Amino acid sequence: MIAERHEELAALYALDLLAGADRTQFEAELAADPALRALVAELRDSAAALAHAAPPAGPPAALRERLLRSVETRTVSRSKEDEKILRPPPSIFRALLPWAVAACFALAAGWLGQLYLSSRTEAALLRDEKTFAELALQSARNQLEAERIVNGQRFATLDRELKAQGDLANFKIAALTSMLNNSPQALAVAVWNPAQQQGVLQVEKLPALAADKDYQLWVVDPAYPNPVDGGTFTVDPQSGAQRVTFHPRQPIKAVNAFAVTLERKGGVPKAEGPFVLFGK
Amino acid sequence: MSFLLSALPDALACAACVDGDDREDDRAPRARRMNAPDAAPPPTDRDAADAQLLERVARGDKTAFATLYDRFSRPLFALTLRIVADSAEAQDIVHDAFLTVWDKAAAFDARRGSAFTWVVTLVRNRAIDRVRQRRRRAELLAESAPADLGYHEDAPRPAADDASAFNDDARVVRAAVATLPPEQQRALELAFFGGLTQEQIAQKLNEPLGTVKARIRRGLLKLRAALPRRL
Repeated sequence: MIAERHEELAALYALDLLAGADRTQFEAELAADPALRALVAELRDSAAALAHAAPPAGPPAALRERLLRSVETRTVSRSKEDEKILRPPPSIFRALLPWAVAACFALAAGWLGQLYLSSRTEAALLRDEKTFAELALQSARNQLEAERIVNGQRFATLDRELKAQGDLANFKIAALTSMLNNSPQALAVAVWNPAQQQGVLQVEKLPALAADKDYQLWVVDPAYPNPVDGGTFTVDPQSGAQRVTFHPRQPIKAVNAFAVTLERKGGVPKAEGPFVLFGK
Repeated sequence: MSFLLSALPDALACAACVDGDDREDDRAPRARRMNAPDAAPPPTDRDAADAQLLERVARGDKTAFATLYDRFSRPLFALTLRIVADSAEAQDIVHDAFLTVWDKAAAFDARRGSAFTWVVTLVRNRAIDRVRQRRRRAELLAESAPADLGYHEDAPRPAADDASAFNDDARVVRAAVATLPPEQQRALELAFFGGLTQEQIAQKLNEPLGTVKARIRRGLLKLRAALPRRL
């Protein structure tokens, strides 16, 4: 006796209306119940019989021909497959041997090709790495060189500054005062750089010179019996000012004093005219 | 329905003996089935003959295959055309289904149903799948919803030779269907030809799901009782 619920499930199953978990569960019950299986089989047949209830329609004759041609084609294919299967083993091996060799060759070629490509890739990578390393090295060298140059420049600058500071300590600076009664306001400053054997003279409010006269600077060095000629110069007629860089005609070892005299035009080897300025 | 009854006067006796109530006792005695019109050969002989044909087909017998095609193709094509409503598509489906028969004949198991049922299943599944793929099921049902499972008044009539060739199986089935209440016919129609789910059938009929299930159960059981043991 089949329960009504199972009849309903059987009917739905026969019409493919059961799905999912319901279908799975019913199929499990079906497997365990021969009477239920028989009912399902009968209901399937009954449902299939409904095909006869469809509006009558006959397939065209061409469909039969087409179907038989398709079957013929499949028969030929199947025969060929059967023929392959029925070949004796030695023939199969002989037939497969070239394919096996070809397959092995293809595999080997593939492996070697892979190896070659891999090696080539590695070589390319190494080349790239080498290039990068060289570039990095060159860059480092350039940087070091740049730093060396900069540091050298810094050292030179520092050296010059230190030297200048050293030189400055040795500079001789002297204020020259007027020796003229008619121009007591006249004055001058002389700065002497013994290292460079040159000096700067700045004069102010000196009387204007006659056309045939020059002022001449003298450097008093105890190493010489006479003052050393520092050169001649003129002044601005209006202001009586002048700034000149002088180079004594003889090497100066020590400066005791500076003196300016009024001389004839072009100067003289040994002071002859009156003193205009003097300072130690 | 009226056309079916008038076209099949020998079913009138059966049709008149049932009412349209779903709650009617649907467990008709098996002996009552034998009262249905039965011009077909003995069912068991036909099943056995079909099964033998399939066995031969499984061995690659093309003649057996052609015979099987001649026996089944007409109702199968009609079924497919009823489902997909397109002759070219129906031909493709029947063609493919029969090729499956050729390839898989050895898989047929007579214990699970007749050969005809097996092939119907192959064809119907393909047809329903095709319809679902086309996503036109609703349109097809709306276009081709007949009043009953059989002929529609406006349906094209078969040619004279077709009418004779479209054998007595059709008459027997239609007569059996005529014994069902209209609501059961409708539920079976939607389930078998429409490929709808239970829920879709309930929605389409605007009935509770339980009612639809009951109609399908009763309808199919009645059909089983009304049909010869096997066509």
